[in-house]
Amino acid sequence: MSTETKDPGVVRALRDLPSNLWSSIFRNPLPSTDLERSSTSFTNFFLHIHPVKVHKNTLRPIYTLGLGLISMFLFLILIVTGILLMFYYVPSTQQAYDRMLDLRGTVAFGIFLRNMHRWSAHGMVAMVFLHMCRVFFTGSYKKPREFNWVIGVVLLLLTLFMSFTGYLLPWDQLAFWAITVGTAIAGYAPVIGHEMQFLLLGDSTVGQEALLRFYVLHVAVLPAILVLVLAIHFWRIRKDGGLSRPEKALAVPAVVRVRVEASATKKTYGLQGFVRGPFTKVGNVPDDSVYAWPNLLLAELFVLVLTVSVILCVSLAFNAPLEEPVNVMHPPNPAKAPWYFLGLQEMVSYSAFWGGIGVPGIMVGLLLLVPYLDRTAHGVGRWFARERLLANTIFLTMVILNVIFIIIGTFFRGPNWTFVSPF
Amino acid sequence: MPVNTPKVEEPVGRRRILIWLSSVGLFGSAVLSAVSNLVFIKPRATYGQPQRFAIGKPDDFPTGTRISLDVKRICVVRDGNKLAAISTTCTHLGCIVGISDTGFACPCHGSRFDQDGNVTGGPAPKPLPWYKVSLAPNGEVEIDKGVQVAPGTYLNV
Repeated sequence: MSTETKDPGVVRALRDLPSNLWSSIFRNPLPSTDLERSSTSFTNFFLHIHPVKVHKNTLRPIYTLGLGLISMFLFLILIVTGILLMFYYVPSTQQAYDRMLDLRGTVAFGIFLRNMHRWSAHGMVAMVFLHMCRVFFTGSYKKPREFNWVIGVVLLLLTLFMSFTGYLLPWDQLAFWAITVGTAIAGYAPVIGHEMQFLLLGDSTVGQEALLRFYVLHVAVLPAILVLVLAIHFWRIRKDGGLSRPEKALAVPAVVRVRVEASATKKTYGLQGFVRGPFTKVGNVPDDSVYAWPNLLLAELFVLVLTVSVILCVSLAFNAPLEEPVNVMHPPNPAKAPWYFLGLQEMVSYSAFWGGIGVPGIMVGLLLLVPYLDRTAHGVGRWFARERLLANTIFLTMVILNVIFIIIGTFFRGPNWTFVSPF
Repeated sequence: MPVNTPKVEEPVGRRRILIWLSSVGLFGSAVLSAVSNLVFIKPRATYGQPQRFAIGKPDDFPTGTRISLDVKRICVVRDGNKLAAISTTCTHLGCIVGISDTGFACPCHGSRFDQDGNVTGGPAPKPLPWYKVSLAPNGEVEIDKGVQVAPGTYLNV
């Protein structure tokens, strides 16, 4: 030790420690020009998810409405509040409900965290759905973004399944009967229905095994899958050339081609020299793009603050519902699923197979196939483009039908699922 | 650099077959492990209610009564010296049906059944199943929900 401290190199190293530490982490000094900001974005893990420059159209609030960003920020809130709630929750039929009461009564901020988790979950389902509508009505699923639309549909299904598994965990009457009804719908699937229901519940009826299984799916399996698919979704946004925009600006090749130069044998090329794509643009091209930092970052920060504040306000004002503890012998009348499944439940009251499996299956199948059925290249990048009148009308009809079914199921159904007037 | 072309073809062909075989092997084992995961999560023993259980002596169910055992999700029907067990799990979406004047009624989506469990209204797609009833050696009535019997099958006691 004594010999080392006498070494002038170490003294110097200690003096330079802060700046060495900074440059080892961030590579660049605190940037003050566009070029420096760009190179900082390029070398920073968290900023590198952004392109250095984005098209102006990307930043028009009226174009994206920030719906995808809001969905992602809600998911972040859900992760944070969910992990905190895990510290107190026990997935046991004996304890789960008591833990809900404890969150209300004894845990500091317990009820507030549960409110945030519940309202963010509702919000995420709504926002993901609206995000899908935005992408459809602006024709953004068209080539080259077909597969990212498919990934988006998968994300919507994962979001719904996440919400569904979380619904059972409070182990109150609402949870128990909604899941009893929901898993019975799964049992109507042809051939594998009953097997699927049994695997999901771990038993023939909803009980301890089902609670444990839903818990594991909700806190481990589904979030892991969702994060992975979400990462692919984001990655592909950039690989597919950024957000969609009107045709005249669409100059991004769909297929990344490798250019083999005649001189390739004589000269060494970097990878980017071979790949033709959005990132090979060099020089000062008048391309209507602006620097992501600060333009995009500020927009994102604004959406984040907005999302968090809305969730905080809603959580202060409204408490997440908690009904009586599970009573296996007395189903509430009527037993209703969460609102986003009430359209499904309404259809199920006409025919269990067609309402629960047939129609939703066809709808999801159509959604997945949309970009492969509609191959026209027009009307991209604008809301309700005139050229897309037919496609938009069909989609809007589906959305409105779905909303009508949800409204009927929510407000117009009383005991024994008979028609009642809410007024 | 090989001079003879046929000699070049031979090792490449073998290499291709080896690559193909090992790909099939690797993919096959991936599929197998996925299937074994499914086998793993399918429980061999369940911890809920047993499928077969005793419900008491035949005399506990006086003649002419229809007693609904909600916890077991069955309705015990006693008619003279005949005894039967009808499921009270709605065939629509699994709610517990209640006993009504005309048979059974489901509170969740309004399915209605007659005394024998046949559908008389609502979205239920199938009649309520009847379960096997037998007399255990100790004289107790035993119900096996794992075995369905034809509607109208009674046990004489």
